[in-house]
Amino acid sequence: MDLFKKFGFVLLAGIGILVALIFYSLNIPHKRSANFVERGVMMVFAPVMKPAARVSGFFEDTWDNYLSLVGVRQENLRLRDEIKGLNARILAAGETAMANQRLEKLLGMKNSVKLPSLTVSVVGEDLSSWFRTLVIDQGSTSGITEGMAVVAADGVVGQIVKVAPNTSRVLLLTDHTSGIAATIQRSRARGVVKGKGEGLCSLEFTTREEDVKVGDMVVTSGIGGVFLKGIPIGEVTMVKRGEYGIFQTVTIRPLVNIAHLEEALVVLREPHD
Amino acid sequence: MIRNASAIFALLLAVVLQTSVLPIHVATPFKPDLLLVAMVYLALRGSSASGALLAWLLGLVKDVFSGLYLGLNAFSFLIIFLVIKSISDLLYAESSELFVVTVTAASLACVTLDLLMLLMLTSTPGILYSMSAGLLPHLLVNAFAASLVTLLPVFSSPQEVS
Repeated sequence: MDLFKKFGFVLLAGIGILVALIFYSLNIPHKRSANFVERGVMMVFAPVMKPAARVSGFFEDTWDNYLSLVGVRQENLRLRDEIKGLNARILAAGETAMANQRLEKLLGMKNSVKLPSLTVSVVGEDLSSWFRTLVIDQGSTSGITEGMAVVAADGVVGQIVKVAPNTSRVLLLTDHTSGIAATIQRSRARGVVKGKGEGLCSLEFTTREEDVKVGDMVVTSGIGGVFLKGIPIGEVTMVKRGEYGIFQTVTIRPLVNIAHLEEALVVLREPHD
Repeated sequence: MIRNASAIFALLLAVVLQTSVLPIHVATPFKPDLLLVAMVYLALRGSSASGALLAWLLGLVKDVFSGLYLGLNAFSFLIIFLVIKSISDLLYAESSELFVVTVTAASLACVTLDLLMLLMLTSTPGILYSMSAGLLPHLLVNAFAASLVTLLPVFSSPQEVS
């Protein structure tokens, strides 16, 4: 009995190891199939494992999302900045394309004018609502003098009236005091285009007998030496012949959109040349 | 010194606003006459001697950037200034409502004087029609500009403009 007490633990441990070894060796041939122990344990744990897996998955997703969110805010800010930058570039590209289009048309006019000319930008308008003048960004230092003609891609703009060293003022063809010698392109009827102040002009001193129709193109006649011959001025929009009087009333809409004019050409020729 | 510099800066700002900024955003008949508003402010709050010269100069600045006739608005501004100045002592010059009404009346007077001067001394056919057509929006927009000026802190200050 004393011997058992003395070596009991070693004996039991040896038996246990032996049983475990036998159990293991007996199960080696059935490695692909579950025995009763495996099936029993699996049956016990089956109802618990499924919800546990779900809960675990939920926490895993939550943790992953949290970790992702830490970077998302920074990424969001960066992407917003990128979008702003790209939008600004799109706007700048659009503006450049439009400026290019305008300047291309202006270049066409510059080439058609067989005299030296200077490209100018409009920097201001008349302070009052009654007069029609513009301020341009070039003056006497660039060779501009009073009386020079100002044209745009579509046609006549007006005439230089007051010149400072770095800016000049242009009297628009729509101003009441403006007068430009003109011809109806189709019938060669002559007259003087005078401003009406409301974005329109009238062809004055054209006799009743002259052939003028709505839609006729009015061009400069070259008389007076300010404008070259044949530069477009506008289109006839109304013709009225009264029962009495020598002249007919002809209204013209200028071709140049003065309200949106940004660039123009100053023809560098003295008016009396 | 600082007040003079501020006044010059305000004048420059008004001219730049009226010539280069506002025309892009508002139609021609709705351009406010900021120099006229400044002149009325000067007439109601300023001193007579220097104010008359300043009013004439304000008109001259307007003429430099407007029309062909240098001295036209300078003359009108001076006349209007003197008229307002002659009665300003009888009025409560710090009233916002009075300022708006005076600017409106001054706008009407300025257009009338300009028109008379143009018709009498120059050859500008059709100007009467243009001025008549644009008169109402001109008066309204000037009254609006004046009402905005009354909101500025400088308007509330009781100091007299030198």
